[in-house]
Amino acid sequence: MSINQVLPFLSTLVMLVFTVYVLQRFFVRRAPHFLFWGIGLAMFGAGSFAEAYLSLAWNPWVFFVWYLFGAALNAAWIGHGTLSLLVRKPWVHAITAILVVGSLYAGYLMLQVMPKLDTAIFTTAKPISEQYGTKVLDPGQTAPVGAKTVSTTYRGEAVTAVRGLLPLGSPVRLTTPFFNIYGLLTLVGGAIWSAYLFWRKRVLPNRVIGNVLIAAGALSIGLASTLTRLGNGQFLYLGELFAAILMFIGFRFAARPQPNEVAQPAIAAAD
Amino acid sequence: MQNLTNLTKEVGVKKGNLPQQSAPSRNRSHMPDNSLFFEKVVPALLVLMGIVLVGLVLFAAGVIFGIVHF
Repeated sequence: MSINQVLPFLSTLVMLVFTVYVLQRFFVRRAPHFLFWGIGLAMFGAGSFAEAYLSLAWNPWVFFVWYLFGAALNAAWIGHGTLSLLVRKPWVHAITAILVVGSLYAGYLMLQVMPKLDTAIFTTAKPISEQYGTKVLDPGQTAPVGAKTVSTTYRGEAVTAVRGLLPLGSPVRLTTPFFNIYGLLTLVGGAIWSAYLFWRKRVLPNRVIGNVLIAAGALSIGLASTLTRLGNGQFLYLGELFAAILMFIGFRFAARPQPNEVAQPAIAAAD
Repeated sequence: MQNLTNLTKEVGVKKGNLPQQSAPSRNRSHMPDNSLFFEKVVPALLVLMGIVLVGLVLFAAGVIFGIVHF
């Protein structure tokens, strides 16, 4: 078994424990941010499991799960949990509605593209993160060794592209940056902001450290995803495992009960 | 007025009788003084992560606006 097959299984295991831990809190406290976190973490875990599966065999619906939940939606849902915790305003409900509709729309776009998947290029020898996208080669640029190319017309121009599972210009791929920007800003921004508030007031060091770890974990997957977009998908699984471990430890740190806790306006990843 | 004075005295006594927060409790709910980690490392990390966050958001925005090709 190669490292690319082991890492996603480990991430799945960590995310499973993390998801159960968070959802247990939701069922006890009924606070919506726990539900959003739980949904996002479950999506993260499903994406990791799909990666692990696709390193062993092909299944189009596992790929559906991997792209929709693992690549597109999970960060936005986890981040929305942080926003729900930090901002108790009515407009957050509107954002929730937009997120739900947007997620359903992304699912619809993914369903539309399913019959067009270029499954002939799939191999278990490479991580799915290095195979999913069709990438146009710039003039003079050569395709990576072993990559299959296709000459086609894209936006009115004759281009050569490295073949990927998703066809060139798939609309579902255009939705991903919107979800990921929202997820990054709310999850990482929320954790940094919370850590800063506690740090400035010089209280609850566990929540400072917890939020720093959560932000670092979310950034590690953000960086790995960006590198994947740039064609270096080999770091994705390591980034995911780092993210899963750091965020779980950070959450546990932040949620650690404190004696005589000081009332705070924002308690990200704790409560 | 006398009643108010008595009340103030009473409250004052009661406040004085409040148990003080124990030292270990305070240590756990407040940052340690003169800690290199909390004085230097944490703020540096927060700034660094903020910069990385902005970079990642700009990259994703570049994808949306077609500046970054994928």
